[in-house]
Amino acid sequence: MTEQVESLIRKDYAAGFHTSIESDTLKPGLDEEVVRFISAKKEEPQWMLDWRLKAFRAWQEMEEPEWAHVHYPDINFQALSYYSAPKSMADKPKSLDEVDPELLEMYEKLGIPLHEQEALAGVAVDAVIDSVSVVTTYRAKLEEAGVIFCPISEAIARFPDLVQRYLGSVVPQRDNFYAALNSAVFSDGSFVYIPKGVRCPMELSTYFRINEMNTGQFERTLIVAEEGSYVSYLEGCTAPMRDENQLHAAVVELVALDDAQIKYSTVQNWYPGDKEGKGGIYNFVTKRGICHRNARISWTQVETGSAVTWKYPSCILKGDNSVGEFYSVALTNNFQQADTGTKMIHIGKNTSSTIIAKGISAGQSNSAYRGLVRINAGASGARNFTQCDSLLIGDRCGAHTFPYIESKNSSAVIEHEATTSKVSDDQMFLCQQRGLDAEKAVSMIVNGFCREVFKELPMEFAVEAGKLLEVSLEGSVG
Amino acid sequence: MSENKAQDFQQLALQLAGNQTSAPWLDALRFQGSEQWLEANWPNRRTELWKYTPLQALQRGGFSTWASAQKHTLDDNATLKLEAIRLVFVNGQFDAEASSGADAAVVRFSQASEQQQAIIAENLGKTVDTKRHLFASLSNAWAQDGVLVHVPKNTKLDLPVYVVHVSTPEAEAAIANTRVLVVVEEGAQAELIEHFISDNQMQNGFVNSLTEISVAANARFDHYRINLEEEHIIHVGGVHIQLQRDSQYHGFTLAEGSKLKRIDYQVTHLGQGAHANLNGVYLPRNEQLLDYHTNMEHVAAHCTTSEVFRGIIADNAKAVFNGRIHIHQDAQKTLAELSNKNLLTSDTAEIDTKPELEIYADDVKCAHGATVSQLDQTSMFYLQSRGLTKTQARTMLSFGFINELLQDLPQAAVREHLHEHLTKLFAKEYFVS
Repeated sequence: MTEQVESLIRKDYAAGFHTSIESDTLKPGLDEEVVRFISAKKEEPQWMLDWRLKAFRAWQEMEEPEWAHVHYPDINFQALSYYSAPKSMADKPKSLDEVDPELLEMYEKLGIPLHEQEALAGVAVDAVIDSVSVVTTYRAKLEEAGVIFCPISEAIARFPDLVQRYLGSVVPQRDNFYAALNSAVFSDGSFVYIPKGVRCPMELSTYFRINEMNTGQFERTLIVAEEGSYVSYLEGCTAPMRDENQLHAAVVELVALDDAQIKYSTVQNWYPGDKEGKGGIYNFVTKRGICHRNARISWTQVETGSAVTWKYPSCILKGDNSVGEFYSVALTNNFQQADTGTKMIHIGKNTSSTIIAKGISAGQSNSAYRGLVRINAGASGARNFTQCDSLLIGDRCGAHTFPYIESKNSSAVIEHEATTSKVSDDQMFLCQQRGLDAEKAVSMIVNGFCREVFKELPMEFAVEAGKLLEVSLEGSVG
Repeated sequence: MSENKAQDFQQLALQLAGNQTSAPWLDALRFQGSEQWLEANWPNRRTELWKYTPLQALQRGGFSTWASAQKHTLDDNATLKLEAIRLVFVNGQFDAEASSGADAAVVRFSQASEQQQAIIAENLGKTVDTKRHLFASLSNAWAQDGVLVHVPKNTKLDLPVYVVHVSTPEAEAAIANTRVLVVVEEGAQAELIEHFISDNQMQNGFVNSLTEISVAANARFDHYRINLEEEHIIHVGGVHIQLQRDSQYHGFTLAEGSKLKRIDYQVTHLGQGAHANLNGVYLPRNEQLLDYHTNMEHVAAHCTTSEVFRGIIADNAKAVFNGRIHIHQDAQKTLAELSNKNLLTSDTAEIDTKPELEIYADDVKCAHGATVSQLDQTSMFYLQSRGLTKTQARTMLSFGFINELLQDLPQAAVREHLHEHLTKLFAKEYFVS
């Protein structure tokens, strides 16, 4: 018996021995060794490794969620590779000529400058000096204000106390299947810390972290806004991203301490698969923020990409008078599927939340709004307003609404309304009669339909988002 | 452990089915029901359809025998003052003395002629979606007696059919299974009132009731279902309706809560131009639990649905509402609306509501709305400034909240009975502090 056990131990060890720390990619598969490898590769401290292992052990016992209104082939988690170093210059396309012309056409339509196109398509550009200078200017400005904005791997090394205190405090390791997976193997992501009373001098955008762009498929973001501070964070980009990973499972945690305000905007336009519904990214994201007293968290998202989206940016309104907001546009075309929405958990007194969700389905796609508004017994005077509208374009698509409303407090006021209809014939007639072609008319009507959400986006983003809808809807009319 | 209990109940329920004697022409349905019941996964918290409604009360209830035929002790005021074809069942058993009126169109399964047996065999269990309504398969397994309302082509039933289900206290926890089958043929018209009541003493019964309604082309069916039993009873009910071309269903339901009360409505629009109208009121209080699940399946095009549910939840009670509207791919030009409004009158009351839209056709107009709120302070102030006490003002406003649905009921007897009953109930049970 002892011998057998020992041989087993030895076997394990031998396997671990073979995966050399120096190698750049891991063989497919996921076990504790892989988690250890990732942690070692990133030169993480022991507590971080323990944290990851705890998540991994939790993940092993968990089951993949099946309740979402999406269908996709089973994912073999042992067939994925969980670590790959950023591609070397040699592997990347040498110039834009080598990039997929369809992708370039899309950039053209969105009006993206050439050097940005190169960066987005992953071209090995020599413009490093230029971008570095931009980044440095920004960094200097932020440092002056005392704002920390760096990759989370760097934060683990430089600000272990902060990371240790807040990481997993909003989305615990065993929160859900994908969050546990992310906690175990997260590659990199952003860390933002806004000191007390500071108003972040600029919009923070992942875009300005060009050198850290390749954060991989398991991104982890942590934003901490100290008392009375303010930050606006932009994630993603209107341009379609070139990406080799099919499964994305990101986790975003926001902590808004007393009187703080966080505004988090996302534009997601990953590869949605081709017109037959082949390929495309699976985007399984856990996003959640916690609001302390008088704090405010606002989520704004424009989701047009990914083959399957599973995403519920949520707010825990823990402190009295805190405010949660969710503004969303989810557009699906061809065979895309989106199951997205939000959770507003009212715990503190006089908390309020607003949910505006606009879904647009075209082609053979399905989009669903799934939301939870929960008023706990102690949340006196809580207030929620929810509006979910869906627009259908074409007779083969689906639009669904699954709102959960749970109230345990008699002084709470909750309103929910949802409508579903197609683009009205009258509106189309009016536009066409004024000389607009059908496609232009639809895009105009859709833009109007989404206006309430777009106005929450930062200015430049809003313009791009409008264009993005136009491009994404191409071919869905007529 | 709870799983064992669940299995116990599942097994026990089947044994009961086995002990029953029933007509041989029901055997096929009973067998099929038993199979489905046994295969069904027992719901738990993760089962979407039972997410907020635990079945522990049923599992721990120790139900192991059929309820016995008894005489009820209710006075005349307990039932509707109405000229009708009246069928009274006590604990699921027919009470001939209390029943009155007759019509060839209305018959009990056990009295059915051969021709009627054929109609029952053809229709019974056919409108039921056992996947969404677990206890329908149990009702099939337990099928024994019931009421058949069969309205022939282009005829109208002169009198409403009034089915009263009375529960009386039993020495042991006992089960009653009730069943109504309605077949309205082309161009015909009828009205059914189902009334569930009980003696005002503590009940330890479990009532599983299932009503199936099939409305043929151009026919119209009016339906009332009133659940006013004593609060210790466990009631699991289902109403399944199929609508053919240009047919109409007008339904109204009102229920007080109990230890465990769950009512499923499933309406399927099978023919073009069908219309369904379903309104409901739920009034749980004390420690009660009341759960309404409604599901509108729009299979055919050009159909309409209008649904309004209102609830007042008091004390430590919990109400669950789930209103699903499902538009199939070919159901173009559908118009469907659902409104659900709730009033919480105490900080320990709970409402879990979930209006659902699932839409696969584009040329439709669908909307739902849900609100949870308390009594409007301005209205309260207004009434109090006119000299009403706080309690009076609250009672008046709460009554007004549901009266919108009550006052338009076409059947005067139901309207008046409920008005009287609720006035007493509100004065006695609500806002007495």
